[in-house]
Amino acid sequence: MKKNKTLIFMFMAPAVITLLLMYVYPVLRTVAMSFFHVESVTAGLDDWSFNGLANYFKIMHNASFVTSMKNFLAIWIVGGVITLALSLLIAVILTSGIRFQGFFRAAIYLPNVISAVALATMWVQYIFNYDYGLLNQLVTALGFDKIRWLGTDAKLWAMIAAFIYGSIGYYMLIYISGIEGIPQDLYEAATIDGAKKTTQFFRITLPLLKGIIKTTITFWTINAATFYLWSKLFSPVQTEGSTIVPVVYLYDTVFGGKGVVTTDAGAGAAVGVVLTIIIIIVYVLTDKLLKSNDLEY
Amino acid sequence: MEKTKRKANWKRELKMLPGYLVVGIYVLFMVVVLAWIFGASLSTSKDIFTGKVMQFESGFHWENYVTAWKTQNVSVFFGNSLLYSIVSCAGVLLIAAPAAYVLSRWNFRGSKTIRIALVIAMSVPAIMIIMPLYTLAVKWGIKGRILLIALYIFMRVPYTAIYMLDFFATLSHDYEEAAAIDGCSAGKTFWVIMLPLIQPAIITVTIFNFLSVWNEFFMALIFTSSNSMTPVGVGLLQIVNSMKYSGNYGGLFAAVIIVFLPTFLLYLFMSRRIISGVTAGGVKG
Repeated sequence: MKKNKTLIFMFMAPAVITLLLMYVYPVLRTVAMSFFHVESVTAGLDDWSFNGLANYFKIMHNASFVTSMKNFLAIWIVGGVITLALSLLIAVILTSGIRFQGFFRAAIYLPNVISAVALATMWVQYIFNYDYGLLNQLVTALGFDKIRWLGTDAKLWAMIAAFIYGSIGYYMLIYISGIEGIPQDLYEAATIDGAKKTTQFFRITLPLLKGIIKTTITFWTINAATFYLWSKLFSPVQTEGSTIVPVVYLYDTVFGGKGVVTTDAGAGAAVGVVLTIIIIIVYVLTDKLLKSNDLEY
Repeated sequence: MEKTKRKANWKRELKMLPGYLVVGIYVLFMVVVLAWIFGASLSTSKDIFTGKVMQFESGFHWENYVTAWKTQNVSVFFGNSLLYSIVSCAGVLLIAAPAAYVLSRWNFRGSKTIRIALVIAMSVPAIMIIMPLYTLAVKWGIKGRILLIALYIFMRVPYTAIYMLDFFATLSHDYEEAAAIDGCSAGKTFWVIMLPLIQPAIITVTIFNFLSVWNEFFMALIFTSSNSMTPVGVGLLQIVNSMKYSGNYGGLFAAVIIVFLPTFLLYLFMSRRIISGVTAGGVKG
């Protein structure tokens, strides 16, 4: 087909402007800002003063940031292992010829399409509620004392549990599409050879899902690093140490919040850069460690 | 949802019992929670605190919905979210569809770079862009609803373009050649002939854009400067925070149901399309 230069230009221009305005310029400016002392996010370049890695040292020595990174690690590792394992388990169940699998898939994915704010509100105001909450009703029905699910000690784990419950559906769908891509005759052959279901899972399904597992680890890392909404809703008015995450710290540092005397946009930018670097490192590492198999099937 | 008619083979089903239990409990939990929330939205705060939610001793308190809708401003939040979702869904298509079409049809200088940039842009975390965007918005004096609409349009362009690109690539070049012979300009050919051909993809991607804009929270929180532009997510947070003073729990749960309902209904009718769309085309939803 003939190239129509005017058409190409007219059709591409809005998208290219979007990329430059919304992504390229802001990312570059954020990275640059992390090396400058910038108090207000609206400060012009004249008010920026270069201070090398000082922003990075500042956040590394900030108690709130360190706490937020610990919470991030809990969400990322503990939450990640549970979420990915459970969603893989459910994906295997729902591809094993169970009845009503269409309904189960749709129902388990449901939390992903409804407003996470509404979802988190249900957890905080009902499920975890001390007075009339679902969990405490179960606990008292079993004859135990009520538990303060949202007390300082348990809050982080309560939040992670709620987040996991809502996240599983998405990863389940990714695993299902991976499993459905594995040819059925591999399983038939294995069954004829007398391999048990569990053996089949570890010898066929898991190795062939390597590429998919890699993808889900990357997605989970992005979700954990940019975790914000649930933390905000579990500590809505004031940021609390028990649920603080890096993005909450970033928000408070840049736009003002509890215990922030002067805003520091440069430090906020440094937090963003640190999180992005973590995501990139995890991506590169999983890519190296879990080499996509070149198996033809 | 494939319908597999098969005779009940009880031995076989029994073997799968643990599987049924896992997914069954998972779904049952959700059903119990949603039923209770709906029940609570029709109860008084007193009923809620005394654990009498599903008994409705004093009848159904539909007035909770009226309170939420009128006094707690949910009508404003709801209208705003509807406006943001609909306008940005249309705006995204205007920017992304032509770009996806051109990228699927021709190789030109920079076309590969743009493709890669679109893919990377899909996974750029919001925290890396919001600060400069905030600066720009203040500097250029852009505020109010138009600001969030513009941001949402830009936010969804990469995903939408990448999603549509694959579909345009499957269309035969014969359409354009026939149109050219009939004297139809290349631009008109796109809008009148090519774009309608990928209608199923447009519907799917628009559903995802709608869901994503309706549920967006982070940018809304940062860029919302007045009550008149607050969307549902941020609005609900405000209601939760004021709950300590108003103590109207029935109203709170009514607000939760109102916020929950639009995307839930959309999902009820479109679940097949949505579920197959999550993993088709682009990977990120």
